[in-house]
Amino acid sequence: MEKFTKAFPSKPLRVPKDRQWALAGVVGSGNLEVMFERAARASDTMECHVETSIPGFRDSWLAALADFARHYPVGGTKVTIHDQGAAPVLVNLRLRQAYDHLVKTKP
Amino acid sequence: MSQLHLFHEQTARQRIAAVTDAGSFAELLPPPERLTSPYLAQLGIPVSFDDGVVIGHARIDGKKVYIAAQVGQFVGGAVGEIHGAKLTGLFKAAARDRVPCVVIIESGGVRLHEGSAGEIAIAETMRAIFECRARKVPTIAVIASDIGAYGGMGILSTCCDFRVMTEHGRLGISGPIVIEKWMGKKAYDSSNRALVWKTSGGKTKYLLGDADALVHDAAGAVREAIGKLLTKSSPVTLKNAKARQKELEKRLKRFGKTADPDDVWKGLGVRDIATASLASGPEFAALAKAGRK
Amino acid sequence: MKQPSPRALLGKLFGGSAKGIAVEKSVLTGYAQAGGKDVCVIGTCNGTYIGNEAALVLAAHVIDCVERRPKTPIVMLVDSAGQEPNRVDEMLGLASYFGHLLNCLELARRKGHKLLTIATGKAVGGAFICYGMFADRIYALDSASVGLMPIEAMSAVTKIPVPVLQKLSKTMPSLEFGARPFALLGGVEEVWPSKDDLQARLAEAIATAAVDDNRAALGKKRGGRKLALDIRNRVLAESAK
Repeated sequence: MEKFTKAFPSKPLRVPKDRQWALAGVVGSGNLEVMFERAARASDTMECHVETSIPGFRDSWLAALADFARHYPVGGTKVTIHDQGAAPVLVNLRLRQAYDHLVKTKP
Repeated sequence: MSQLHLFHEQTARQRIAAVTDAGSFAELLPPPERLTSPYLAQLGIPVSFDDGVVIGHARIDGKKVYIAAQVGQFVGGAVGEIHGAKLTGLFKAAARDRVPCVVIIESGGVRLHEGSAGEIAIAETMRAIFECRARKVPTIAVIASDIGAYGGMGILSTCCDFRVMTEHGRLGISGPIVIEKWMGKKAYDSSNRALVWKTSGGKTKYLLGDADALVHDAAGAVREAIGKLLTKSSPVTLKNAKARQKELEKRLKRFGKTADPDDVWKGLGVRDIATASLASGPEFAALAKAGRK
Repeated sequence: MKQPSPRALLGKLFGGSAKGIAVEKSVLTGYAQAGGKDVCVIGTCNGTYIGNEAALVLAAHVIDCVERRPKTPIVMLVDSAGQEPNRVDEMLGLASYFGHLLNCLELARRKGHKLLTIATGKAVGGAFICYGMFADRIYALDSASVGLMPIEAMSAVTKIPVPVLQKLSKTMPSLEFGARPFALLGGVEEVWPSKDDLQARLAEAIATAAVDDNRAALGKKRGGRKLALDIRNRVLAESAK
């Protein structure tokens, strides 16, 4: 297991506060779960916590997360990831799915 | 949730959303609570926010239900200390509030990584299920994926009033690989999928009477079957126990010597094995019913 | 630890009244006495595997007791390696046969029969879940092998090396195999030294048996299973809001 934490600059999240958290994916072989939560902290950063079963890819993770924070307004959120060896493309998909769940008003 | 999705392909959360009234599900101990397994963490195995089971309450056709869904992808849906305690608590809440409880099972049984804690948790959940039954609170197990209900969760499913299955669902205790290892490939070839499903799949369980409904692999069909059972219960009485004893004795006497599931199918009304094998769940149920006449 | 013969063990538990217990294909059924009062006995011995047939024999005896001996306590003895992996048993619904046995025991409980288990030998896997663990109170002889599975077997299935599991089991008794660690989890009320006067122990246990499931509370108190009770209570509290 490898764990790391980092915050990235991002534009503030722009939706009503009725949804406090959102989840996408499941922990399973080649898969991951991503949870977004509204954090009490700074509204211009996305705080990231990653736990992955495959060590040695810290830089790729950080690059992917920095990229996501740049393209989506997720400032003021905390994202926590439990990964069991997901491919980068799936990581991006789950981040987007979790974000979509967070910002859509009703299911 | 769209009917285009096959129920067995959906995630636990999608399944709950799909069988309950839109927007009615309220999760108990949701992911932000981070109730993750300290056992898995110590072993360096990835943990999950919900420890592999989603629990909460919702409405089905306006009627309140407690509902749980196991996450088969996460350590095989296996039951550890937290996972099991969530299930126990849910059934106890159902008994207390006299609200029906539905569990969508997808589990190989006890989570070995947590040793005996998961085993005790399953036993405790069984006691809680019978608390519901003592109060005539319906308990319904849904078994609809190929991970199925195995080990202690297979036994637990038989403690519920009713079981809803799809043809994808499997119900048993020992899985095919374990049996093959024990008896040899000649007795049980675990790669023979037709044989595996005829041994433990929904169709055979429905024929035997161990599944109360055999429905299409679609959330709408599962929901409809649950809805029909929500107002019923299967009381624990001496009369029922004696009838069940007789029925199980007869079953063993009749089929205990056969190794071929086709004999069971034929004996229980299936006339054309090939057609029945290809039939959907409800078609199969209709064929067997017609054959018994 | 060397195991006494089934008959010797029955003698230690029930004295002369043990003659009322039949042992057939390592399955025990009958009536005996404990503390001068009648008890119904069901169980397994010789570490046997159990399947559909054994489940039916045990269930039939529970039904007999409910019908003919109202409120007689039921003592369950467990010495079974579990369910034998068998395709025909599975095909005919082994889980349902076990479920039926549990259902019969539940019926007995509701009709006022006390349910008591003594793990006498092997008490592992499905064979423990399908009747013994369903008792009101569960005891184990110190010589009994109680638990999910030994560490070696756990290692073989999970691919986690034995030394890793052994080290962790020092702080997580759930991973350790045996009656004492199982008691730390609350799964066993009390471990009885085999040398004790087991007749007296049994009589006392029947006299004090209560029907509430106290295992999670015991597990927390004894420190072997710290989370279960609190999580359960949180579900109960939050669902009541």
